[in-house]
Amino acid sequence: METFLIIGGALLFIFIVLYNTLISKKNQVDNIFAGLDAVLKKRYDLIPNLVATLKEYMLHEAGTLEKITSLRSQALQPSLNAQEKMALDKELSSTLGSLMVTVENYPILKANENFLHLQHTLHEVEEQISAARRAYNQSVTDYNNALEMFPTNVLAGFMHLEKKEVLRIDVAERENVNVKNLFR
Amino acid sequence: MATLSSLLEYYYETMQEALFPLEEERKRIVKKLQTVALFMSIGAVVFFTVLHQHMHFAPLQAGLLSAMSGFLIFMFVYRHEKAGFTALFKDQVIEKLLYQIDASLSYRKESAIDEEAYRKSELFLEDYDRFEGSDLVSGSIAKVEVRFSFLHTQQKERDSKGRERWETIFQGLFFCADFNKAFKGKTVVLPDTAERTLGVLGTWVQRMNVARGSLMKLDHAEFEKIFVVYGDDPIESRYILSHSFMEKIVLLQRKINRPIYLSFVASRIYIAIAYTKSLFEPILTRSLLEFSYIKEYFQLLNTVVGIVEELKLNEKLWSKR
Repeated sequence: METFLIIGGALLFIFIVLYNTLISKKNQVDNIFAGLDAVLKKRYDLIPNLVATLKEYMLHEAGTLEKITSLRSQALQPSLNAQEKMALDKELSSTLGSLMVTVENYPILKANENFLHLQHTLHEVEEQISAARRAYNQSVTDYNNALEMFPTNVLAGFMHLEKKEVLRIDVAERENVNVKNLFR
Repeated sequence: MATLSSLLEYYYETMQEALFPLEEERKRIVKKLQTVALFMSIGAVVFFTVLHQHMHFAPLQAGLLSAMSGFLIFMFVYRHEKAGFTALFKDQVIEKLLYQIDASLSYRKESAIDEEAYRKSELFLEDYDRFEGSDLVSGSIAKVEVRFSFLHTQQKERDSKGRERWETIFQGLFFCADFNKAFKGKTVVLPDTAERTLGVLGTWVQRMNVARGSLMKLDHAEFEKIFVVYGDDPIESRYILSHSFMEKIVLLQRKINRPIYLSFVASRIYIAIAYTKSLFEPILTRSLLEFSYIKEYFQLLNTVVGIVEELKLNEKLWSKR
């Protein structure tokens, strides 16, 4: 009887440890996603100001500016799921990126203090977004590993936990923006 | 940062001549120490004879006693002479080399990084019983406020026989500067000894290090091989340790080729580079007129001053400007 109790106790202990490991990994993914969401929000908050400043100078880019504004309002809808959010964010990133390249053609704009401030803040937020994406991917990898590795995979099967997808990070994004070029 | 050729020019055109009197002083000290050593040896023999033949000490006891007395007197003279020479050496060699690298920096040979900065860095969590340091360099390099000095922290321990022992916690260069990004939390980067020696088991050991915070796995293979990272916020740690910054740390590690500890606390960066000897101290047996000897000190100072540019700490993000 005593042996059964010891074995039963040990099994229960192992079960608790494995269960908690899986739950903490799952929560870690959610936590970091919330962090990523927070920095994305920071960028959305910058956009109205940025668009207002650019509108005065970049008359030929009205279409792009409108697109950015509409992407922002779409992204701020509360009904979006994570995948949709990330897809919109990706589109916004590339549109903003190409817009920042065209800024080069507007020397007056590059001399505007307000714009420069916005540009630098945007760059800083983008660094934070990139960090948050990397952190998110690492937490997803840890979580997915736990789902596939023995013995946590057995329990994960019972708990109906599903693998999550990592965010694709473009090579250009992995390489940090050269701050020197940006501050010229 | 100064180049080696600029040092060569400075050494042969200006510095060497000024070093002649110091070199004479060094020779005088070496001669004096040789004489003291000779006299102490003769004295020890005489003392041995007196102890053994007139006071009836056993040969072993008499030998030990006379050798110890001779050695202690010699060490007393050696320490006294070395201290005086070290002070002169720091004024005339270290300070001048530093000004040659960057004249705007300030040098205080008897000061060091304060205990508060050492503790704040959280690089070494062990309690220390002895905190010593010297050669504080401070000032602004490429508009970045920087301080560094030699530090030696030790812990008193007792062995199984109850004998007192001083264990080194850290010995080497301690560097702190303003970091180019604003952040609130703490990220600590330590040399990865566990994973390198124990493999996967090492990672498990690292994860168990609760005093350090959560273990961070970073997406830079080479950096991960050399370092282990702990932090309290995974996003912030990655914000600090961007890909390009990890690359720079790897390059710095290769250049210095010593164990490097880094921490990022409250928008500041702390770097500790471990050495097994005192830095910036003269070697009495080496001539000051040898360029290669002076060059070693120059290179050490140049590397540390160069950290700001090496890690691009001067390229500040907007919120830090």
